[in-house]
Amino acid sequence: MKTKIATGLAFCLMTTAAQADVVVGNPMAQTGPIPDLVAPMVQAVDMAAEHVNAQGGMFAAGEKFKIARADSQCDPVAAVDAVTKLINVSMVTAIVGPVCSGGTIAQAESVSIPAGVVTLSVSASSPMITNMESGTDLVFRTAASDAYQGVALAELALSKGIKDIAVSYANDDYNAAIAGVFAQAYAALGGTITSNQAHEPNKASYRAEVATLGSGSDNLALFAYYGSGGITIMRNALETGAFSTFIGADGMLAQEVIDQIGAENLGKATFTTSTSDQTASGFTAWKALADAAGVPAAGPFVPNSYDAAFLIALAIEKAGSADRSLIAGALRSVANAPGEVILPGEFAKAKSILAAGGDIHYSGAAGPQDFDENGDVAGYFSANVVKNGVWEGAIIK
Amino acid sequence: MDMLIGYSLYGISLLTVGGIYAILALGLNIQWGYAGLFNAGIAGFAAVGAYTFALLSTAPNPYHYGGLGLPLPFAILAAMILSGCIAFLIGLVCIRLRSDYLAIATIGIAEIIKLFLKNETDLTNGPRGINKIPRPWEHLSEERFYTKGPMSWVMDAASWDSFFDKLPNWWWQPFFCGSILLLVYVIYRFLEKAQRSPWGRMMTAIRENEGAAHAAGKHVTRRRIEAFVIGAMVMGLAGAMLSQHLKLIDPTNTFDPSKMTFLVWVMLIAGGSGNNKGAIFGAFLVWTIWSASEIFINSGLNIFGQLISDMDISLLKTRAGYLRMVVIGLLLQYILQKYPDGIIPESRPTSTGR
Repeated sequence: MKTKIATGLAFCLMTTAAQADVVVGNPMAQTGPIPDLVAPMVQAVDMAAEHVNAQGGMFAAGEKFKIARADSQCDPVAAVDAVTKLINVSMVTAIVGPVCSGGTIAQAESVSIPAGVVTLSVSASSPMITNMESGTDLVFRTAASDAYQGVALAELALSKGIKDIAVSYANDDYNAAIAGVFAQAYAALGGTITSNQAHEPNKASYRAEVATLGSGSDNLALFAYYGSGGITIMRNALETGAFSTFIGADGMLAQEVIDQIGAENLGKATFTTSTSDQTASGFTAWKALADAAGVPAAGPFVPNSYDAAFLIALAIEKAGSADRSLIAGALRSVANAPGEVILPGEFAKAKSILAAGGDIHYSGAAGPQDFDENGDVAGYFSANVVKNGVWEGAIIK
Repeated sequence: MDMLIGYSLYGISLLTVGGIYAILALGLNIQWGYAGLFNAGIAGFAAVGAYTFALLSTAPNPYHYGGLGLPLPFAILAAMILSGCIAFLIGLVCIRLRSDYLAIATIGIAEIIKLFLKNETDLTNGPRGINKIPRPWEHLSEERFYTKGPMSWVMDAASWDSFFDKLPNWWWQPFFCGSILLLVYVIYRFLEKAQRSPWGRMMTAIRENEGAAHAAGKHVTRRRIEAFVIGAMVMGLAGAMLSQHLKLIDPTNTFDPSKMTFLVWVMLIAGGSGNNKGAIFGAFLVWTIWSASEIFINSGLNIFGQLISDMDISLLKTRAGYLRMVVIGLLLQYILQKYPDGIIPESRPTSTGR
């Protein structure tokens, strides 16, 4: 019995590593705090792999492009463990993922940077990632930094004539980061912050917080998740009459907010979100593919996930081998100008151009995906207001 | 060859994290196994250790105070001492509580510590956490260390630079792992000695029958505080080692009670509470189950897909994360049901050590 188990385990280990294909690690957070957000992102990554394999696979030999998935749980301990397994056991060429900023920074500093493996994150938006590396060029992301969205939101608020504002943010890494950037940018642009306070998520009532915040201003910049306190704060603010105007970011943008607060009370509410330029050719191409596959094309970070997986495939194709050390340079070359424009799904076209020695420039589902020197991309943001009972977005600038 | 190195490195990382958990389990064993103190706030003491180490040893940084860049051994020692001091203050107030009340009090204290770390944004960078925590051995290749003494006394910066360039990028991993295993061994020897000493037998007496020990003239409260403080110091040490391994710590996700408190309890109970060998074995076993289950589930599904070729396993594969949690739960259930006293149960100490 024991020998059978031992051979079984040994066999299991053999099958994980014994493959001549190109393997890319994908530490998504299938369990943890945000499984419902991650599920469509996982589908988008798999879609990119299918497109690559359906269009001739990798290199001249047509090797398969495989995704090795692990569970990073949005938690540094799990993310470090998951990526250790991907890099050492699955022998991946590069990492696409992880999802949360904390897990991304931990796995990059602890595992992937020391091992010299490229990380291309799909949704980590913390400003801390921008200046994380010293002397290496291994961490990239296809999601725009919160630093950009916070500034965009501050400009938006001032252009709407909001001269003073109170800031309240949920005390987690995402909301604290974007609130910090917003407050700094808003004050620098000449606005007045009347108060700036954190609140603990998931409380039953925020009347005390709202009362403290509401004394100085009629306007509230709210950084929270709608499901864990954001709606309660808005309700308390409206009930007590402390605030009438609301602005905020991604976390509050959900139909549930309208259903619970009522469209008539949200006349002066504007929330921004990271979005795709829906008129761009990259997004149109992606939407056709995503609709056919039943993947939500405009879901949060779903196009970014597709872009990340597809870009890594292009970079490995450009590098000409699964050698880890060649990926960073190749990634910059395929993502940035110059070169012939490649849209989502056009792997065969890219492959033939690269084979002929040409240069390509990927224009992705979520945006142009041109990396700056820190491996960051600029993103598009939309300002969303309630129209006819639903959120309606318009691209800023 | 690459594959062999890869598997060895994964094995080393299993031993590293298992070793950190073993230190936590040993700390808990002093409190629960020796003195019968139900500490459900392990995450809090680990967090104190981790944050103390991080603030003292990181390079100066605009995100948080501290960043004193002190030598690592000093920062580790400070982590242990601060964790012990906090445990002493808590012990003065709470130690008289009966076991389940003490458990409730310690859960509360761990949450208070976490809320403090989360809200003192200037000190700790709040929920965004502290990164770039130096890791022993690997830190030697950081410029701020090899340009200063004592390293600069041996060679100049340029020779150190080229020396580290020649090493494979994983050179520090075996050393880091070895340091942690050495710590586990030292703590183990220390605790074994303590258990066989009169102090350890007195602890057992207090745990088994507090009234009788009190009647025999033992200062029960003081002894319980002692065990609580020593246990917390060991947990603080484990927290410091954990922050080195992760290189980023944040108050909410890193010190989540399910992984930092209750998993340690499972390790101690599965291994055998009251027995230091059991605590160490339980920690390595449970962590290996936790970590390696992912590999076996994924490859098990691959084999399953090859055996039954007309079935699409991609659907199962998208659920591998949940499947893994089920398997971990079942395995832990099995161990706890099969070995109710732990895999290596407690053996009563005798004065001769047999």
